[in-house]
Amino acid sequence: MTERNRKEELLLALNKLEAYHEIQNEMGRLTAAFNFHQKERVREHFAMELADVSLEYADEGRFEGPEAVDAALEELLGGEAKPGEMLDLQLTTPMIEVADDGKTAKCVWWCPGVGARTDEEGAHALWIWGQTAVDFIRLQEVWKVWHLHYFRLIKCSYEKGWVEDLSMINRFNTPMHPKSLPSTYHNPYSPLSIRDGIPCPPRPYHTYTQADRFWELNRDKR
Amino acid sequence: MRWTMEDLELLSEEELENLEKRVARLLSVWQIQNLRGAAAVFHDDQHIGEQRRELNALDYPGVDAGKILEMRKKPVVDSLEGNMLIHPLTTPVIEIDDANTKARGVWWSLGIEGLSIHREKPLAIVSVGMVPGVHVKEAGEWRILWGVWQRTTKNEYHAGWVDSMVPTNTRPPLTPEQDRQGFGRYAYQKDRVRQAVPLPPEADTWNRYPDEWDQGWMKKSEEE
Repeated sequence: MTERNRKEELLLALNKLEAYHEIQNEMGRLTAAFNFHQKERVREHFAMELADVSLEYADEGRFEGPEAVDAALEELLGGEAKPGEMLDLQLTTPMIEVADDGKTAKCVWWCPGVGARTDEEGAHALWIWGQTAVDFIRLQEVWKVWHLHYFRLIKCSYEKGWVEDLSMINRFNTPMHPKSLPSTYHNPYSPLSIRDGIPCPPRPYHTYTQADRFWELNRDKR
Repeated sequence: MRWTMEDLELLSEEELENLEKRVARLLSVWQIQNLRGAAAVFHDDQHIGEQRRELNALDYPGVDAGKILEMRKKPVVDSLEGNMLIHPLTTPVIEIDDANTKARGVWWSLGIEGLSIHREKPLAIVSVGMVPGVHVKEAGEWRILWGVWQRTTKNEYHAGWVDSMVPTNTRPPLTPEQDRQGFGRYAYQKDRVRQAVPLPPEADTWNRYPDEWDQGWMKKSEEE
């Protein structure tokens, strides 16, 4: 190995370590903004300058392109936060693979959480657990969300629990958003569902290619 | 692969210095994660009165060490039996300053507690919250300058967080109003819109808020 090769490898390792920390921070900030119902702060974390930026949320469909992502954020966070409402998703179990070329990263977090919804009877406590798979891309020295997919695991009444209350695992029977594309995957827990380890853990890679799109849906764990 | 002395000798002095600084800041993130993990152990009431490795920066200018040490001596339950306070730390956002001497961090947490004040059957509690704070180097190691638990929920298990809010256990007991002004200041309330506090530190937090005692960075949304 030449002197230059050695230096390059050392820099690569260091750059990956820094990326690991920066991506954890960025995802933490995005999650806090989402929990705090701050649409504009959430939007700042997306690579809105890219035509294929995307957001897929549970079974609400996949929103691809800046306009569609804006529409999805408006659906999720557009209205005023209401008294008694709460979302508190948290990031655990980080699996982060930074590409050898340092330009992208594939990531998965498991996200336990709590929440509260309101109706005419008042506020109701909820369990809200899921997983998030994210492709990050480095643009102008900042890591931005390129593709984000939130997978719902449970969403249920706190009192009844995830085995008895299945009323919120699937979206209500209303028309899909006109800017949405079909969901790629939706398999929340129910007494009859079978878990299949999706999103899958990312594997080390050199450069993100078109073939990597939807890597998180790979059911082959070999 | 592992790097050897031979590899590093190939670097110029300037290259070596640059790498040293970058590695040192990454190590700081790791050490601060460990520090807050250790602090979570002693956050548990079970350990009140126990001899411990010091985790707070007691000698740092502006710190009231006497008050901190006095607080630790005050038992709030008759017996440790049945008591538990487990707040796992999640969602870390940690920003180290350029000089690698100060660090801001915010963690979130989804925890559980058991509370038995007078040896009664313990109360099972679901406890959600956050831990914001600042950390400094003292005696060569990272220590906590300020920042403790901030409650989101603290509810009796069966009642849920909409209908139950257990006050922080103190002697004498807090009134609900005192509790809301203290740990419960930003806690969930069914008739209130949630406040966005604490915000996680931004990447430029130390440029915008150079004073380690300043809390403005985590309460910006209150000012806007």
